[in-house]
Amino acid sequence: MLLSRVVKPARYTDGEWNAVHKDPASVRARVALVYPDVYDVGMSHLGLHILYHVVNSHDDLLAERAFAPWPDMEDQLRAQNLPLVSLESRTPLGDFDAIGITLPYELTYSNILNVLDLAGVPVRAVDRGPDDPLVIGGGPGAVNPEPLADFFDAILIGEGEEAIVEIAEAAALGDRREALAKLVEIPGVYVPSAYVPSFHGTGPRGTPVPRDGAPARIARRVVDDLDAAPFPTRQIVPYLDTVHSRATLEIMRGCARGCRFCQAGSVYRPRRQRSVETLLRQAEETIAATGYDEISLLAFTSVDYGGIEELAGRLVDRFGTRGIGIALPSLRADAFSVSLANTIQRVRKSGLTFAPEAGTARLRRVIGKRMEEDHLFAAAEAAFSSGWTRLKLYFMIGLPTETEEDVAAIGDLVHRLVKFGRGALGSRQNRLQVAVSAATFVPKPHTPFQWTPQNTQDDLARKHHILQQALRGRHIKLSWTDPGISALEAAVSRGDRRVGAAIERAWRAGARFDSWGELFDYGRWADAFRETGLEIADYANAALEYDTPLAWDHISCGPEKASLQAEAEQALAGEDA
Amino acid sequence: MAQFICRYRKGDEVRWISHLDLKRTLERAMRRAALPLQLTEGHNPHPKLSFGPPLPLGATGDAELLTLRLHEAADPAAVKERLNRELPAGIEIVEAWALPGYKKKETFGNLDVADYRITVTGAFEAKGIADRVRKLLESEELLVRRGGNRPEREVDLRPMILSLVVAGSGEDGIELQARLQTGSHGGARPQEVVDLLGLGDERHLVRYHRTGLYASSAATPPRPGGVWRRWARSRSEPERSSSQ
Repeated sequence: MLLSRVVKPARYTDGEWNAVHKDPASVRARVALVYPDVYDVGMSHLGLHILYHVVNSHDDLLAERAFAPWPDMEDQLRAQNLPLVSLESRTPLGDFDAIGITLPYELTYSNILNVLDLAGVPVRAVDRGPDDPLVIGGGPGAVNPEPLADFFDAILIGEGEEAIVEIAEAAALGDRREALAKLVEIPGVYVPSAYVPSFHGTGPRGTPVPRDGAPARIARRVVDDLDAAPFPTRQIVPYLDTVHSRATLEIMRGCARGCRFCQAGSVYRPRRQRSVETLLRQAEETIAATGYDEISLLAFTSVDYGGIEELAGRLVDRFGTRGIGIALPSLRADAFSVSLANTIQRVRKSGLTFAPEAGTARLRRVIGKRMEEDHLFAAAEAAFSSGWTRLKLYFMIGLPTETEEDVAAIGDLVHRLVKFGRGALGSRQNRLQVAVSAATFVPKPHTPFQWTPQNTQDDLARKHHILQQALRGRHIKLSWTDPGISALEAAVSRGDRRVGAAIERAWRAGARFDSWGELFDYGRWADAFRETGLEIADYANAALEYDTPLAWDHISCGPEKASLQAEAEQALAGEDA
Repeated sequence: MAQFICRYRKGDEVRWISHLDLKRTLERAMRRAALPLQLTEGHNPHPKLSFGPPLPLGATGDAELLTLRLHEAADPAAVKERLNRELPAGIEIVEAWALPGYKKKETFGNLDVADYRITVTGAFEAKGIADRVRKLLESEELLVRRGGNRPEREVDLRPMILSLVVAGSGEDGIELQARLQTGSHGGARPQEVVDLLGLGDERHLVRYHRTGLYASSAATPPRPGGVWRRWARSRSEPERSSSQ
């Protein structure tokens, strides 16, 4: 028996509350929605719930789910020669009309190829025949589709609520060629086979050229009216404890902050929010349909929601007495955020998290992170006086113009915060813990820093050493991202179509779940790039020229190249956004 | 304020979800059913529930027990019905009854005996099974290794196997009935018994179904509606859900 030999077998069984079962004979198109990570991660992704709901709200369309099997399950499937199946009807993925795959981020791409292979679908689009499903991508990674271009029949750029139905209609045509012709016409849909890649030297230089009839640029799909957009209140309730086991309300989409390193902030514009009345209704419906005991207010920064106090207050009034809590997953580093969190959150979970990103005011100005140190200390004071004793601070290493002094300043800032915390906590100071997380700056397409080189792995190692020296002490805990993982993320994020061949090679050599540190093997990836005739450094560490056409210039995500360049020049001159 | 005991079934559809997952699932179903649940005090209130001994992962059962506490008296049949409407396929309240005037929280701490029906199919010599069972029961000592996250240690299973009989056998499989000690003072897992019989390898498909939970203690106080052993039995009994 398969399930007795794998960990967390409930990853592969269905029947969760609110899962949808339909008679496949009653629909015109069947879509398998795939999240390329394990169930417990994928089920926490709101986008999947939204698309599942939108497709299944049409009587004549059907969506089922599938996730990347953990290696123990993959071994079982391959040993017994079984295909990967959907959760709901246990239909082999290859039998669907379309497979829709989320592109959450670069380190899941090896899993995408693995899922297609386990489904018995040729991984390269060009090898697929009339009986194979259409393979459609979409999600955050779609803003640079080139590294995946050879594996997908089409990739949706931008938001999927409306487009997924149009895509399912194309899949319903049944004929592969007709469907592809139809997909080219859908706004926001990129059909890679309708574009010829062009390469100029090393790295992502050169923009794909459209063949006859295909649009020169693909503009990102945007939902105009978030209030009217479909939202799943009958959210599937997993049996397993997932990353987020609670009801989710998307209160706002997009971010008005304009941090120059942040791709999400750049490509999810404009900022849109749902009205308080709509959110109260959706909260009521979601709680009634799921039985969750917590509602999470999802946004890039939930306290930036205009009217957050009113929204939070009315939710607490309505749900507090029923034992249902409200959670703010993302805070700003200021006293207002902390006192709001203190007022509404009943569970003091792991502590509070703030993201100063850089150790000096100068460097924060360069990256467009508008956070005053005073505000951070005010936030910390509010946190300590409200009973929190643990803080988590996010920093980024390797930022443009960063010097060793900037890195050392992180140590200084953290030590001052610890000293302040000990004073503020008095007799409870031994409980004080400041966890410092040092991520690596990754230059991302469609941001002002898309041309900027990532630090070399040697530079990063040196900076990590500085951090290690600077951040000693019993109240401090330091963690950082493996430089090899960051280099790969940068190389794929700024990758062109050639990088796809390296991804395929790495996958064939055994790459899986690269974002799970324990399964990541840098050597395997470096070899895969080299055997493809590429170098990771040519993509990760290259300083790209402003006037060189880039591999993602045919994708329009909002901000145009000229304005990104102006921002970049301002940044490097140390000017405010 | 009222306390109810429910006997429920954990079926095939949910046999791969853990006991913790099952508890969460039942809590959520109770909230969906809008039962007037009594909540614990404090920052993170949750319903006052208690559960009988957990089933091993992969096993099914229809003698499973839980208690729940409501703010107000209610018809047990209505509680059962409302809950069943909100439960996913594979989990079902089979019967429910109230404990009138019963203030102490029932925790099922005295349930220490479980009956399992074990079905084995696959390639093996059915004839040899009866011999193996007899040999196993004649053993003075049956040492098994247990580890998991804790340091490995040896446990003698023999005193915890209260009875083991071959209830049926045929060309393609056998059915065993095992009565095992269970609970917090130590117990034998049905898989361990199957391993001792040499049936635990990949060539066999084994299914475990718990059919009864009992208290061996003579000190078990009588409860409204009978003693423990009668509450937990899954075989057909007079319908009790509307009698209280």
